[in-house]
Amino acid sequence: MRSLFEWVDALPSSIALRESLNAYPTMLTIHVVSMCLFAGLIAYWDMRLVGLTLRRVPVSNIPTRLFPWALTGYGINLITGGLLLYSQPMRYYGNFYFWAKMVLMLIAGINMFWFHYATYKSVQAWDQGREIPLNARLAGVVSLVLWAAVVVTGRMMAYSGLMPQWWNNLNIGA
Amino acid sequence: MLQSFFQWMQGLPFSAWMLEETWASPIIQCAHLVALVAFAGAVLVVDMRLLGRGLIKTPLNQLAREMDRWMIWSFVALFVTGAPQVLSTALKQYYSPFFWWKMQIVIIGLLFNFTIRRRVAFAEEGSLGHWPKVVGFLSIGMWTGVSVYARLIGLLS
Repeated sequence: MRSLFEWVDALPSSIALRESLNAYPTMLTIHVVSMCLFAGLIAYWDMRLVGLTLRRVPVSNIPTRLFPWALTGYGINLITGGLLLYSQPMRYYGNFYFWAKMVLMLIAGINMFWFHYATYKSVQAWDQGREIPLNARLAGVVSLVLWAAVVVTGRMMAYSGLMPQWWNNLNIGA
Repeated sequence: MLQSFFQWMQGLPFSAWMLEETWASPIIQCAHLVALVAFAGAVLVVDMRLLGRGLIKTPLNQLAREMDRWMIWSFVALFVTGAPQVLSTALKQYYSPFFWWKMQIVIIGLLFNFTIRRRVAFAEEGSLGHWPKVVGFLSIGMWTGVSVYARLIGLLS
C-alpha cells in the first residue's frame, strides 16, 4: 500500500497538482460545497426514517426525488476527494483521520446497501403511515451517526498533530 | 473603530483559551461543519422545491414550514460555533477580504430569507409565476457563496 502511495506521489501530474497555487483551495472548496449537497440531503432522508422530520412526505418520495441530487453531490465529492488524495498521497497515508474516514464511508455504504436491499423492499407497507419499522429507524440512526463522523474525521485530517498516541506509535507515516 | 473592536476580541481571555486549548478549535470547527450540513440540507430541500425540483408532490408551504425550524436552529448552531472561531482569530478575520464578503452575504441572505423567500415559499402555489424559481436560485447562490468564502478564509488568508 505504501509503495502505491509513494508511486502516485512521484507522478508528474501529482506533483503538478501539489505545486499549483490554486488547485488545492479550488478542490477543497468544491469538496465542501458538494458535501453540503450530498450530506445535507442524506441527513434529512435519515431523519425522515428516524421520524424526526418530513413525516407527511411519503418515504418512497425521497429516494426518487432527492437521491439523484444527493448522488450528484456525492459524485463531485468523490472526484474532488480523489484529486485531493492524488495531489498529496503521502500527506494522507500516515494520517489516522484519513483512514478512519475511509473505513466510516465503507461502513456507511454497507449500511446503505443493506437498507436498500433488505428493509426498503417492504416500503409500500409503511410508505404513507407514520410508523416506520425498527430496522429502518435503526438504519437511519446508524447512517446519521456515520455520515456525521465522516464529516468530523474529514475536518480532523487537517490536524495531523492530534492523532491518537497508539497510531503515532505505529510510525505509519515515517 | 472596527479594527480596535477586533483587537479587543482577539485579546479576550476566552480567545487566548481557545488558542491554547489543543482540542477547543478542532471540536468547534467539526461542530460548525456538522451544523453547516444540517443548514444546507434544510435550505436545499425548500430551494429545490422552489425551482420545481425535489419533493414536488409535497405542497411548497407545508415543506417550507417544516424546514423553517431546522433552518433556524441549524443557523443558531452555526452562529454559536462560528463566534468562538471569529473571537480566537479576530485579527486574521479582520484582514481577510473573504470574511467580510462572507458576512455581507450572510446578512443579505438572512434578510432575503426572512422577507422575500419566506413570503414566496409560504404563499399559495401557482400565484407567483416565475418568482419561486428566481428566489430558489438566488437563495442557493447566496448560501453557496457563504460556504465558498468561509472555506477560503482558512485557505487563503
